[in-house]
Amino acid sequence: MTAIRPNLLKLLAPLAAFACALVLFLALGRSGDAELPGGAAAVDVEIPPDASTDQRIAILQRTARDGIGGAEGYASLGDAYLQKARETGDPAYYSRAERSFGAALRQDPRNFDAVLGAGTLAGLRHDFREQLRLGRAAHRLEPGLVAALPVIADAQIELGRYPAAERTLQRMLDAKPNLASYARVSYYRELSGDLEGAVQAMRLAVSAGAAAPENVAYVQTLLGDLELQRRRPRTARTAYLRALARMPRYAPAEAGLARVAIAGGDLAGAARRLRAVSQRLPLTTYLTLLADVDMARGAARAAEGDLEVVRAQQRLLRAAGTQPDAELILFEANHGDPDTAVRLGRRLWTEAPSVRSADALGWALTRAGRAREGLAWAERALRLGSRDPVFRLHAGLAATAAGEPRLAARELRTALAARAALSPLQARDARAALEDIR
Amino acid sequence: MKRLAILAALLAAAVAVPLSFGSSHREAPRILKDPTGDNTDVWAYTAPDAPGSLTVVANWVPFADPAGGPNFYPLDENARYYVKIDNTGDGYEDVAYRWDFQTRFRNPNSFLYAAPTVDSVNDPDVNLVQTYDLYKETYNKNRRLVHTKRIANDAPVVPDNVGPKTIPNFAQVEAGGVTSLRGGGKTIVAPADDAFFADLGVIFDGINLDKPGRPNIGLGNQGGGKDDLAGYNSKSFVLQVPEREVTRDGKQVADMKAGNAVVGIWSTTERKRDSVLSASAAGKRKHPHGKRAQHDNWVQVSRLGNPLINEVIIPIGKKDKFNATSPANDAKNFGQFALNPEPARLLNALFNLGVQETNRTDIVQALLTGVPGLTQIGKNPAAADTLKLNLGVAPAANPNRFGVLAGDLAGFPNGRRLTDDVVDIELRVIAGALLSPPKNVPLGDGVDRNDKPFRSQFPYVALASDGFNSQLKRMEPQHAPVPQPPPAQLP
Repeated sequence: MTAIRPNLLKLLAPLAAFACALVLFLALGRSGDAELPGGAAAVDVEIPPDASTDQRIAILQRTARDGIGGAEGYASLGDAYLQKARETGDPAYYSRAERSFGAALRQDPRNFDAVLGAGTLAGLRHDFREQLRLGRAAHRLEPGLVAALPVIADAQIELGRYPAAERTLQRMLDAKPNLASYARVSYYRELSGDLEGAVQAMRLAVSAGAAAPENVAYVQTLLGDLELQRRRPRTARTAYLRALARMPRYAPAEAGLARVAIAGGDLAGAARRLRAVSQRLPLTTYLTLLADVDMARGAARAAEGDLEVVRAQQRLLRAAGTQPDAELILFEANHGDPDTAVRLGRRLWTEAPSVRSADALGWALTRAGRAREGLAWAERALRLGSRDPVFRLHAGLAATAAGEPRLAARELRTALAARAALSPLQARDARAALEDIR
Repeated sequence: MKRLAILAALLAAAVAVPLSFGSSHREAPRILKDPTGDNTDVWAYTAPDAPGSLTVVANWVPFADPAGGPNFYPLDENARYYVKIDNTGDGYEDVAYRWDFQTRFRNPNSFLYAAPTVDSVNDPDVNLVQTYDLYKETYNKNRRLVHTKRIANDAPVVPDNVGPKTIPNFAQVEAGGVTSLRGGGKTIVAPADDAFFADLGVIFDGINLDKPGRPNIGLGNQGGGKDDLAGYNSKSFVLQVPEREVTRDGKQVADMKAGNAVVGIWSTTERKRDSVLSASAAGKRKHPHGKRAQHDNWVQVSRLGNPLINEVIIPIGKKDKFNATSPANDAKNFGQFALNPEPARLLNALFNLGVQETNRTDIVQALLTGVPGLTQIGKNPAAADTLKLNLGVAPAANPNRFGVLAGDLAGFPNGRRLTDDVVDIELRVIAGALLSPPKNVPLGDGVDRNDKPFRSQFPYVALASDGFNSQLKRMEPQHAPVPQPPPAQLP
């Protein structure tokens, strides 16, 4: 007998509430619904499949306010907030998500969706140890489900635990080869320097498709990014346009087209696109690229304005509890105080010893005038064999400053081989350094 | 696997943009919804206009919303789509039909799905073209694949019904997708109105008994429910082959008592097995299960036999295992959940109905081992979640949506016709309609029929909605309550 609805038990005669039983049966089949009886009842709420995120949030907020919905309702609300954060780029939704997951876990500390949602949130805030802890906890709750594995794999990669990540990804591939698995396998292959394998996996992600057009646009765009690295701007362009055909105005694909424009020397066109995109979605990635493009075009004041927006965005992220990540440290090294960047970079390395963190710390050291140390860290970043042109550029410039011209030339050439994936200033710096060596 | 899931479907919906896109995180969607892999329903029956044949309808791609935006639902060219048939009763496939798809853009520089007007299935105005080959696989009693025959080559997938401006006469386009098979029979792969009908969700208010939106639903046996699938499309694979192609002895079925009369049917989706890193980079990886099995190069990502098993009988934590395993192992893996079904406990916990909660051998028999004399394959079949059809039972002149419960032996759980109300039937079975003596509770979901009528000719499913004329969420009109057992002639 459920504690939540004592009124029901008196109403056996008409049994007018009967039809809900059907829904509850069906609800039992849905992943994450709370178990009945004995625990809190999983009340089913009606949300049309075509509801917008805002509509969903409204319905789930009402459910929470009315005290029905239980842990599952709160977990769903948390997930909806995470969704909203992704759609708007507004990290303020992280706090709301955190409160929702917290409420869910207070009602039922063993609610799988709440634990997993909290793990996902931790990852979004760059607290990867917490992400791993919660991902593992969720997996222990439901060891038969694959759903926790992506959260675990993401954390393992960010923590630099590559063999463990590979094992987790293999389990995912062996159990559920689909978009979520393929996209991650692609990234892992990319980190390992296997660009062709990365493209192959991402193509499988594209053909597998997803429930939402956005998910397909996402992997189409990542495919475009890979093709840029492989010096195929035309193929990249096709991929971005396919992403946009599936999801009009999809920001990352628009940014991809800006990169194609850069590769083709059209800085004005690239700036236009990036400005439009970053007005909708003020992400650091777009704004720093835009700042680079503006600088390269001689629009220094515009560039400074772009950087100001980044700083504001970073403040918002910090206020929302997000830990500094590699992206922030690189920004600080390039446009702020390199010594601060070094300090943050060391802390990041302690927390998340990944190749990305190594690259960020290395670049901060190089910018702080400590090129020897910067080079050592840059080489650490390359230990998996990544052909990431920015990693290679950082290594090349560190080697130059450290007085290792041969090594520098090799790394800079590798970086320039994927120049389509570099910003205009990065490409310029690489070329200039290579010239100096010759 | 059925995709019911209001909540789950939602949570799986768009991951718009990760907060840090690009080289930093891989904010890949973590939700593992997989519509191109997700089989949603299987129907199998003897069609009145094709009495010597097996007709199967297998659906993939749930909630294909015809309206709104550049959404189209290509199938996965890297997956294998199967309809599998067990004619020996061991739960393993003896015959399997496999659809393999190819995708291409007619004009690689265009990103449209199709341009006005598309007048035939091969119209060059369709830009995203999908075709398929259909194979018939035959297995011996040691589960070895012994023969593969291609029975359709480069057949066209009917394009999605993107709207009346682009496709003014969709029925005409669809007709061009009917493909004859070598050896007899035909097939089609087309978008179609989702043939499932059910009320998936009600707002539950613990105090107020008047259901907002469902005021007249009662016990669910008098209409008043809302069909949550109404207006949505799905991808239907329809297959019709002579009985002798699938029977144990390769002969037509003489009558319902014949030894070769019953076959078990289910659908699966598979994708290729792969290593995270290529073999040279990763080195050898020991296979976790030791000896490599027959289909070890392919991973089964989804399977479905009887309706609603994965949703109602299989616990949440076991769903992925259910999707990955063979029906042959269902007794070992999941038998306890059928014998002691959760919904029975739920009915009792909420409504104190006195439903038998344990030792439900009646459910095991109805759905897994088969009803003796009707849907049992051989003398000692495995308890396997396959849809069991007796090909020797003639189609009913007036099908009753309650099937066997109303004395209509041509209906579910003897196969499953498009019009069979499997939700109502399963609810009543769980309550005890097949026990001896039966416990009769007249349950239902308040939805009695599909939003669109089915067709009497191949491909039988209702024509795909185009989004402009679709009627989302049809309410079932009220009618007199249907008792349990339901009368042989429904009003």
